[in-house]
Amino acid sequence: MPIYESLSSDKLSVVLDIGAAYTKFGFTGEFSPRSIITSEVLCSKTKKLRRIWDYESAEDLYDLLVDFIHVIFFKYALLSPKDKPVIIVESLLCPTTFRETLAKVLFYHYEMSMMFILPSHLVCLASLAIDSAMVVDVGYKEAVVIPICYSFPVVKAWQALPLGGEAIHNNLRTLLSSSNTGIQDLPESTLENIKVRCCFVTKKYRADQLGSAKPEIATCPDVKYPIGGAEHMTVTGKVRERAFELLYEEDNDHLCLSTMILDALLQVDRDLRQKLMGNIVLIGGSVMVPGFKARLKEELEMQLKNNRYSKLNISTIAFHSLPCKENYAAFLGGALYGATELLNMKSLTRETYFKENRLPDWINFKENVHCA
Amino acid sequence: MAYITGPDVVKYACTCGLLKPITHLYFCRYCTQIRCSFCVCHEIDSNFCGKCSENIPSSEARLKKNRCGNCYVCPSCQQDLSTRIASKGSANPEEAKSTPKKMYYLLCQFCRWSSRDVGIPDQSTVTGGWPKRENVHANRLQELVDSYKAIILASKKHQQDKEKKKRVKCLSYTDRTGVTAAAIRKRLGLPADMTHPMLKNRPKNPEPAKAKSEVEDLPDSIFTEPLNLAEIMSIEQRLLQPEQQPTTVDKLFPVHKQLSIKRSLRCRSCEHNVSKPEYNPNSVKFKIQLFAYYIIPEIRIVTVEPLRSGKTSELIVKFTNPTQHQTTITFFELDLDEVESVVTEEVAEVAESFEQSLYLQEKQQLSLPSLGSLSQPSSLLASRTPSITVKPRRIKEDLNCKIGIPESSFILLPRDDAAEYDDSGDSHNIQDDPKLVKWRKSNKAFIRLYVTPNEDLPLNSEVTCGFVMQHIYTNTITSKVENKEPQQYNHKVKVFLTLGNSVGCD
Repeated sequence: MPIYESLSSDKLSVVLDIGAAYTKFGFTGEFSPRSIITSEVLCSKTKKLRRIWDYESAEDLYDLLVDFIHVIFFKYALLSPKDKPVIIVESLLCPTTFRETLAKVLFYHYEMSMMFILPSHLVCLASLAIDSAMVVDVGYKEAVVIPICYSFPVVKAWQALPLGGEAIHNNLRTLLSSSNTGIQDLPESTLENIKVRCCFVTKKYRADQLGSAKPEIATCPDVKYPIGGAEHMTVTGKVRERAFELLYEEDNDHLCLSTMILDALLQVDRDLRQKLMGNIVLIGGSVMVPGFKARLKEELEMQLKNNRYSKLNISTIAFHSLPCKENYAAFLGGALYGATELLNMKSLTRETYFKENRLPDWINFKENVHCA
Repeated sequence: MAYITGPDVVKYACTCGLLKPITHLYFCRYCTQIRCSFCVCHEIDSNFCGKCSENIPSSEARLKKNRCGNCYVCPSCQQDLSTRIASKGSANPEEAKSTPKKMYYLLCQFCRWSSRDVGIPDQSTVTGGWPKRENVHANRLQELVDSYKAIILASKKHQQDKEKKKRVKCLSYTDRTGVTAAAIRKRLGLPADMTHPMLKNRPKNPEPAKAKSEVEDLPDSIFTEPLNLAEIMSIEQRLLQPEQQPTTVDKLFPVHKQLSIKRSLRCRSCEHNVSKPEYNPNSVKFKIQLFAYYIIPEIRIVTVEPLRSGKTSELIVKFTNPTQHQTTITFFELDLDEVESVVTEEVAEVAESFEQSLYLQEKQQLSLPSLGSLSQPSSLLASRTPSITVKPRRIKEDLNCKIGIPESSFILLPRDDAAEYDDSGDSHNIQDDPKLVKWRKSNKAFIRLYVTPNEDLPLNSEVTCGFVMQHIYTNTITSKVENKEPQQYNHKVKVFLTLGNSVGCD
């Protein structure tokens, strides 16, 4: 590394948000990720793409992450990782195995100097400059709701359901195979493209009509979707409108996206409830579909009239619109936090990590003693 | 060449415990150990654009966000865009005789996307000032960054002041005389200064965003108008432009091409390079190339008799000496359990050595000012902190076949590039064990080995055997420097052969 490089005033550090489907990668102080890549690596043994979240064991994950971080640094960041800081944006509910293996890879294998771990639900508010909000993250594997009150995530009120991109793809697969004979195993990438190009979240009254045996409304036009160059598949209007319905249909436990938000609200101090409902922030790639926000509002209003939630006494529901695309909202927060001095003040350094031989975590009692 | 790209039937064990074909391995001359891409430290040497092959300095690459300023890729199919010339006659018909002006536009030769499709005007220069798209939220976000930076700096300063105050017990001279700032204020008749020191010069908080209760509703046209798929972008096309993520084709803009890099590899334990490319992007040569392929004898399977469980089969393998020095090959029994004991020992050593290195580092920092004249080897690399050696792992391979280890060893002659053109025939005069060496020519030897698959091996299962090969490695570095005889080492390599599937009894 040339000597002048280290002397330049604006140091760029890598910000990473490793999602279940896509990884957002970029640098601090920039307002959009440099690239959004699939969280997959080519397995050297089987020569197939493997998702890094589909790991079998910690050792397996270690190898996957070594390959994946290598691709990020040497194909996209073009930066030698040795002795550089890194900012990791992750969910508060990130599995311990994953966090610890990632730290091991970054510190042992890549010998990075510092690791600054930020909770995604909290940092996404940085781009809005607000300190209290109901943050709803609808990602690929799951939807997680965590209220943030005065810059503190109320973790005890967390709600999570396996409602996300994966569930939508599975739903779409069943809907498509029932309406098209002979189409069985569509690859996930095709399903994803059908989802983003054809489907949308419909209005509540239309959803109710389409769900009934004899709908009284005309469905939206069908789409002929090309498959593999030569064949076609019909994506019917009903499929287009119903693909996202599972997010709003209550399951056997009477839980869905709207009840998650309200259940989280029930766990919060009653003085904060109205404030939180007036500041709903939606993040994650799955919320980018047209009509998502409008439908969620409709659903929330309907649920509030229910007996279950009538004691909440919520008068208004308001949503924030982010100054970025929702799928990289958490990344942007990390980039904003990383641009400040906090990076040097609050990071976990390699020396501390080797000395203590553990990664600080909010569930660890040791960290919580200091707050009291 | 199929053996390079095809299935890896002969694998060598790297020092870190991974099995790789010889073409994927490096050999560190200084540690006399095998290394692989997993256990070396990768570094970026130079940046270049893969299309125009221009070497771009790292500071410039950083400025241009790791993208080439002149080359573009197609926003639709990600192939390189080419610049096309369109001659444009003058708008004024009277000046028709004047030479037509050359205008340039971008075209994708693969999917036929062109910059005209989205209404980008043709440019008059080749490199073109192709319009850039600005982030509409950039101003607001910049404001936020600036105010966050100020807030954090202020709080850091405040904390430092606090620490300072703690240290200095005697606050100021006025305290002793009883003339404090508060007392002076009182004497002058001013009201007491009630503002908290934290509030003074406190940076302003940014304006918080306002939430809206009206949300964008779906347009009614979505329920009635047919969808034109050709106009809607796929997810890959959207994510190629992460900032805008356009949904319709009319918002596609050419994307600057991502730069590529040249990498140098450094051994973690001795900090020497094992591979370093030349800077010129057009050159495929290396300045340093310590590939195992050039140092360690290469083994290829020639023939193997059908493998039956419990029956001995003949295996013929070819050994090739890639070096300029004669070497002797000896075989040893491979014992994976023994390996493990070595590994665990080494692990303990690594843990110790790491602590030691930390300690040394501290010591060095302390001792450097006073003992600056003492040249320590690591002080040469002061800008680099020493690497941590990752503990080697256990080799994951189950051997299901015994190999008869020959007692005698054999000699491999040095490589001679001219030998191919030498018609005088084999003039070597080597006393070979005829049971072991089947045939030899120049630096190659065909060796006969006997393998016995395990008795309990089920049909059609893959047969793997392994042995330790010891060869003589001649180190030429020291001889060059000190004019000594080249040093010779016995170097052992664990080799694993995948012999194919077992067949039934005849």
